[in-house]
This record gives sequence, structure tokens and C-alpha cells, in this order.
Amino acid sequence: MPELSSGQRVGRESGRFLRCCGLTTTPPSPCVQPCCRPLCYEQSERRLHKSLQMKMEEMSLSGLDNSKLEAIAQEIYADLVEDSCLGFCFEVHRAVKCGYFFLDDTDPDSMKDFEIVDQPGLDIFGQVFNQWKSKECVCPNCSRSIAASRFAPHLEKCLGMGRNSSRIANRRIANSNNMNKSESDQEDNDDINDNDWSYGSEKKAKKRKSDKLWYLPFQNPNSPRRSKSLKHKNGELSNSDPFKYNNSTGISYETLGPEELRSLLTTQCGVISEHTKKMCTRSLRCPQHTDEQRRTVRIYFLGPSAVLPEVESSLDNDSFDMTDSQALISRLQWDGSSDLSPSDSGSSKTSENQGWGLGTNSSESRKTKKKKSHLSLVGTASGLGSNKKKKPKPPAPPTPSIYDDIN
Amino acid sequence: MNKDAQMRAAINQKLIETGERERLKELLRAKLIECGWKDQLKAHCKEVIKEKGLEHVTVDDLVAEITPKGRETGFTMLRRLVLNSQGQAVLLPQPSRLLRL
Repeated sequence: MPELSSGQRVGRESGRFLRCCGLTTTPPSPCVQPCCRPLCYEQSERRLHKSLQMKMEEMSLSGLDNSKLEAIAQEIYADLVEDSCLGFCFEVHRAVKCGYFFLDDTDPDSMKDFEIVDQPGLDIFGQVFNQWKSKECVCPNCSRSIAASRFAPHLEKCLGMGRNSSRIANRRIANSNNMNKSESDQEDNDDINDNDWSYGSEKKAKKRKSDKLWYLPFQNPNSPRRSKSLKHKNGELSNSDPFKYNNSTGISYETLGPEELRSLLTTQCGVISEHTKKMCTRSLRCPQHTDEQRRTVRIYFLGPSAVLPEVESSLDNDSFDMTDSQALISRLQWDGSSDLSPSDSGSSKTSENQGWGLGTNSSESRKTKKKKSHLSLVGTASGLGSNKKKKPKPPAPPTPSIYDDIN
Repeated sequence: MNKDAQMRAAINQKLIETGERERLKELLRAKLIECGWKDQLKAHCKEVIKEKGLEHVTVDDLVAEITPKGRETGFTMLRRLVLNSQGQAVLLPQPSRLLRL
């Protein structure tokens, strides 16, 4: 406790009154002697401050120059340093006596073992970089020598264990099922001409979807919605045809026959990607590729007489959009009015027939005729198509003409 | 001289009261560790202990051996810390500021 020059002691407990002369009295009553006035802590503190300040001011006013101040400050700092030294000594002594002073030391032998290595070609632990790249391991299953970095995935597939291999196996089973199904159906389709289900060779890829939705007779397998969903479910659907599709969203065009190529090119973008050498499976209007690219691809595959994708797309889209919307409506109003369903079925049928007719016609044109004939057909079809757009309700008048043409 | 002594006493008192001394002490300790003074001193300690033998070291021995060296080096460090090239206090409070509390 600090002592005042007057000998008064100041207590540190708050609210406690201490007498200057040691006697305690009840708080409010003043003592007789002037030195025995009750002092509370705060008061005394204030007094101390005041007195000190005055003293210091006195002293500073009395000519304490900077050097003296410096000297005093140095002394204070020296005291502090000495205190720190002492504290440090105590710490060390305690560490020595408790036995943990030398714990951070290691013996020279192990120091040498773990010394930092500074040679070229080695890291600081002395290990060689790239040591395992060139090493080859022999697979215990198939007895092939595999590169070390590829060993683990190879083992996974080789042994048939692990997450990925079970997935692949499941896919293969599903694919083989689909292949069986599609093969059997193909034979039937060749015989049937006019059909609700206009199966063509290009529908192989969409087979899964149509199988799923066969109970919805108004669904047109040509609808762009299907191709859109194809786009989204590319992973799933592409695996339905392991020979043509891969896990990536593209087609390897080497395995496709000319017929299939043509059919593919009528419905899909088909531009070959630089990286994967595969055809793009998005719609004919996919934003990733330009029409020029699509044209070049078609010319490359189908010869100079290749059909422009724009015409086809417009043609197809017209009919598809219509049937699409009507199919939607039919879907939504499955239990709905009878008015809608027959007209829908009628229109969808006609549109499908249209599509079919156009499909066959266009394929014929590609085979034998030039662009012009196809375009004329296209013109009529598009005209009909546009008509259909405006008047979805009465589909009857245009259809007999088409039927006549076909028959 | 009495005045000086009084002055010193008063200042010390003031420092302790306001808690500034403790703060200064902590600050100084931190700075000394940073600049490596403590590690130097520790190395010196190890030598002394190895000389004397681990079992027979006493506090007094350590204090007697280490304090002078510690004080010297500490003070030089301090000078470096406190004053920069222009001779002005940089890291630790200036004496005038210290005293004008």
C-alpha cells in the first residue's frame, strides 16, 4: 500500500472508512481532530493524485531538464529488466529441479539423422521426387504389369470390388436388357408403316424413354421434349446403348452406320467436339455450336447433298412443338374432357404421320433427290404445320391429302 | 538529491498505482523474447548448469551468474528497442510521456 508523506494509510477496500489516526467511528459523524476526519478511498485517491501532480509540476517547473527525466526513465527501465532477469532465473531453476529443462535438446546422433537435406533432386527429407511414377506393379488377378499410379483403379475394376465397379456392372446389365428389347422391337417396326409409334433407326437411343412411357399413347417419340430430357438425362440414356454412347455426353461416330448417322443428324446437333472426338447430342439448336459447324459435319458425313440443319430444325420443331404441347395437355387432362382427347389423339396421330411421312420423304430425298425436292416437301409440310399451329382443333382437312400422297 | 529521490519515489508510486508498471513489464518481456534475448540467456544458463552439474544448481547461483549478463544484454536490447536511429523512442513509451502520467 502506498504511504502518504503525512503518514496516513489508505485502505483499498471500497466503501470502508478508515480513520487517519486509526480510530473507527460510524461514517457520518465527524471527528473532533482535523487529522481524524473520515477518509473514503476515492477521496484519498483523488487527493493523492492531486498532491502528486502538484509535486511533479513543482518539480518539473523547478527545472528538471530532459536529461534528468531520461535518467529517471532509464532507471525505471533498468529496474524492469532486472525484474525480468530474476523472473527468468526462477523459471530456469524450476525447470531444472522439475527435470524439464533439457527436454528440448536432442542428442547429436538423432540430430544428424534428421538434418535438413539440401541436395538437388531431393526434397528436404532426402526423398527422391517422382520415385513411384516409373514403378510398375504386377496385378495379382490378371498378372499384368500396371503403372503404380494407375494400380488402385485397375485393381478396383479387375477384382470387381469397390463402388465404381458395382455401378458399371449394373449399367452393363441394364444395357444388355435394353439391347435385347430393342432388337426384338426392331423387327416388328420394320413391318408396320402407319403406326402411332413411328420407330425409326434413330429411335434406338430414345428407346428407353419410349418404353417407359408406352402407356401414354399421345407421347410422340419425336418430341423435342424427349430430346431435351435426353439432354438432361444424358448419363442415363446414353448408357442404354453402350456401343454408341459412352459415359460422356457424346457419340463416337466411327461405330455408326450411315443410316444411323443420318437419322442422328436430323435430330441432334452432331458437331464433333475437338477434345473427345464425339458428336454433340444436344438439340439442333444447341448454343454451344454454330450452324456452320453443323453444316460442315453434315457435309462431311453425308456428302455435298447434305441437308441443312436449319430447315430440318424448323420443320421438325413446328410439328414437334405442337404435338408436344398437345401431349402435355393430354397428360395434364388425363381424366379430362372427351373433347380434348380424341382431337388430341387425332392431331397427334396426324402429326406423327406427318413426321413419319416427312421422315421417310426426307430420307428418300437424301438418298435420291436433291435439295429442291425436299425443300418443296418441306414447304408444304411447314405450311401445313403452321396451319396446324393456328387451328389446333380441326385437323381433318389436311390429313387425307397426306394419306393420299403416301398411299 | 533528496528531491530527485523523492521524485523517483513518487514516480514509481504513480506507476504502480495506475498499473502502468505491470503493463510496461509485460511489454518489455514480450519484446525481449521477440528479439531473442531470452534464448541467448537460456543458452548461457545451460552452460552454467552443465558446469555446475544438474543436481546442485541453486537459485542464488543462477541469479549470481545470470543477472549481470542479462542486465547488460537486456539493456542494450532495450536501447535498440526504445530508440531508433534518430534517438527517439519508438516502441516503448518515451520517458517524458512516462513521467507525465
